[in-house]
Amino acid sequence: MDKSPHSLTGRRPAPHWLAHLRLALHYGDRPWSALTIGMALLTILLMLSIGLLLWGDSSQARAAFGLSFLKPTSDASWNPVSGNFQAWPFIYGTLATSLMSLVLAVPISLGVAIFLAELCPTWLRMPLGWLFELLAAIPSVVYGLWGIFVFLPTVVEPMGNFLASTLGELPMLTLFFHGPMPASGSSLLAAGLVLSIMITPTIAAITRDVFLAVPLTQREASLALGATSWETIWKVLLPYGMSGILGAVILGLGRALGETMAVTMVVGNSIGGSLSLMRPGYTMSSIIANEFAEAVTVLHSQALIEIALVLFIMTLLLNILARLLVWRVGRGIPQEARA
Amino acid sequence: MLRKYNTLFVVMMVTALLLSACGSSTSTPSSTSLPASSVQINGAGATFPLPVYTEWIYAYQYVDPSVTLNYQGIGSGGGKKAIIDNTVDFAGSDSLVTADEYTAGKDLQMYPMVAGAVVPIYNVEGVTQTLTLDGNVLVGIYNASITKWNDSAIAALNPDINLPDKSITAVHRSDGSGTTEIFTNALSSFSADWKSKVGAGTSVEWPVDKAGNGIGGKGNQGVAAAVQNTPNSIGYVELSYAIANKIAYANMINKAGNKVTANADSLASAMNDFANTFTDELTNIIVDGPGVNSWPIAGYTYIVLHTTSMTDCVKAQKLLDFLKWALSDAGAAKRAADLGYSVLPDAVRTQVLAKLGAVTCNGTPVLSNS
Repeated sequence: MDKSPHSLTGRRPAPHWLAHLRLALHYGDRPWSALTIGMALLTILLMLSIGLLLWGDSSQARAAFGLSFLKPTSDASWNPVSGNFQAWPFIYGTLATSLMSLVLAVPISLGVAIFLAELCPTWLRMPLGWLFELLAAIPSVVYGLWGIFVFLPTVVEPMGNFLASTLGELPMLTLFFHGPMPASGSSLLAAGLVLSIMITPTIAAITRDVFLAVPLTQREASLALGATSWETIWKVLLPYGMSGILGAVILGLGRALGETMAVTMVVGNSIGGSLSLMRPGYTMSSIIANEFAEAVTVLHSQALIEIALVLFIMTLLLNILARLLVWRVGRGIPQEARA
Repeated sequence: MLRKYNTLFVVMMVTALLLSACGSSTSTPSSTSLPASSVQINGAGATFPLPVYTEWIYAYQYVDPSVTLNYQGIGSGGGKKAIIDNTVDFAGSDSLVTADEYTAGKDLQMYPMVAGAVVPIYNVEGVTQTLTLDGNVLVGIYNASITKWNDSAIAALNPDINLPDKSITAVHRSDGSGTTEIFTNALSSFSADWKSKVGAGTSVEWPVDKAGNGIGGKGNQGVAAAVQNTPNSIGYVELSYAIANKIAYANMINKAGNKVTANADSLASAMNDFANTFTDELTNIIVDGPGVNSWPIAGYTYIVLHTTSMTDCVKAQKLLDFLKWALSDAGAAKRAADLGYSVLPDAVRTQVLAKLGAVTCNGTPVLSNS
């Protein structure tokens, strides 16, 4: 392309300025990838440093109580005056409220997502989806206030008394459902219900997007084979999107485990030693938020930090467990179906 | 999708504009009204005295416009940590500075500033009159030995009131709090049994929780809301909170056997009962006083200062002037009483002012003539 006599002498012509630019941009790849690796490492480093800090700052409490700190017992003590701390009531409270909220929220969210993605008339889809996303954006303290003044007295208290007088009378279930419900409705049940309302929009919104991402060909193929629309949803869409749906459930669980403000306002903040969901309880995040600011003795604040450590590890384990589940489910779907 | 984000962007821009507009409109007058040589003094700590400190700081602008005071209610523990770390000029605390904290802070000293009362609030079906309670009843309710409103111990104190045969829900603070410390100090004084089994502190292990009739509420407002929403419940809040929110509170029978109402007078009486029992650290517990008119559930809240290591002498001077004003000025006392606190009686004030006089900056006393 260069017609100058230079080309005949074998000397290469100076590169065009555009080529220079390309070259420079190409070398830019390396710093760029280094930058992103650095950011990824930073996240891991952050995680490690949080874990290490919690581990280090709880050394005295760990030495003082050892494994008895975690022991499931009905007469666990949390006594800042005498300096005797056991975490079981908080661990139980966190697990009970989070799992209860999942059990309630997952079916509802699935229903909402299926309706929004598959069955909803198009004109209603936008406003309804928008409303649901708005529900996820409400600050948790608002949920707490609404819980105290509206939801607990009108819904939770009668519901709790009903459950206590029915399920609470059955031989095995009495352990988890015996009354009496406090007149204010503050209980593990209240916390679980409020949490389920809080995590439903999160799970539903992601699940809807998962359904919408399923290729149209899958639906057409199923319908062409003579499946009803219900069979298409149940046997094609649901298995296809399972790993995505599980991801949504994990996100919901994460929110439920860590939620502090709304739970503190409705859970009752009381260490009773009862396993009943109808009774007031306490969660790990609540006790930390409640007592850390005025924890006067070293042992008290260290016991609270150890609870944070337990919560940290528990969240980690549940996430790993859920990842494994997603991975298993993901493998179960034949790859050709995803093509 | 793109349109959605466009809308979002516009909304954000408008919000940002509005925010910046608000920011400039509020900051401009304040920066012009302050003299150039203003001294900024920062404090942080207990939330118990926050209303009265805020009120005093507001009033003090007119006494000495050259000083800007700022107090943040972050909790006593946080306040003590901040003064040890020298991130504030003074701390507020309801709980005592511990031996470890004295060592870490080197030259810390506590000064009682004001006393506050804790009052029982209640919600009993069919009862509109003011209840009267005593120490034994409060201990009984919170250790779950008194479980019904028509218990003979309560009925004996309230012969004219028709009390229902309903079980009592006892509400306590769920967050660690100076209010709980004053309340449990009082319960410990009322009952040796409570003192040995439960004790006193910013948070304690409530026997009534174990019995299944206790509920924790976060903050004064959490306790007040729980009592309001729970028929036949009892709780305790600061007098200042009850006054500000017009919540009815119970009278108490004090040690002398008289029925008393929580107010500035009965608080001053409680302080006078213990005027001669201050420790070297200038701390004191003033619950269950023997005075005829003494409110039994009362407590001091303290200011914590560095006594010898303050280096900015102008600032130290301004800070101590403010504290002296708050302790001595009649207007300051009136403001405190209106909010449900009581400033120190003479017998206590002289001791506190003497200790404040000992504060030095670079080796010379800060208060020239006290």
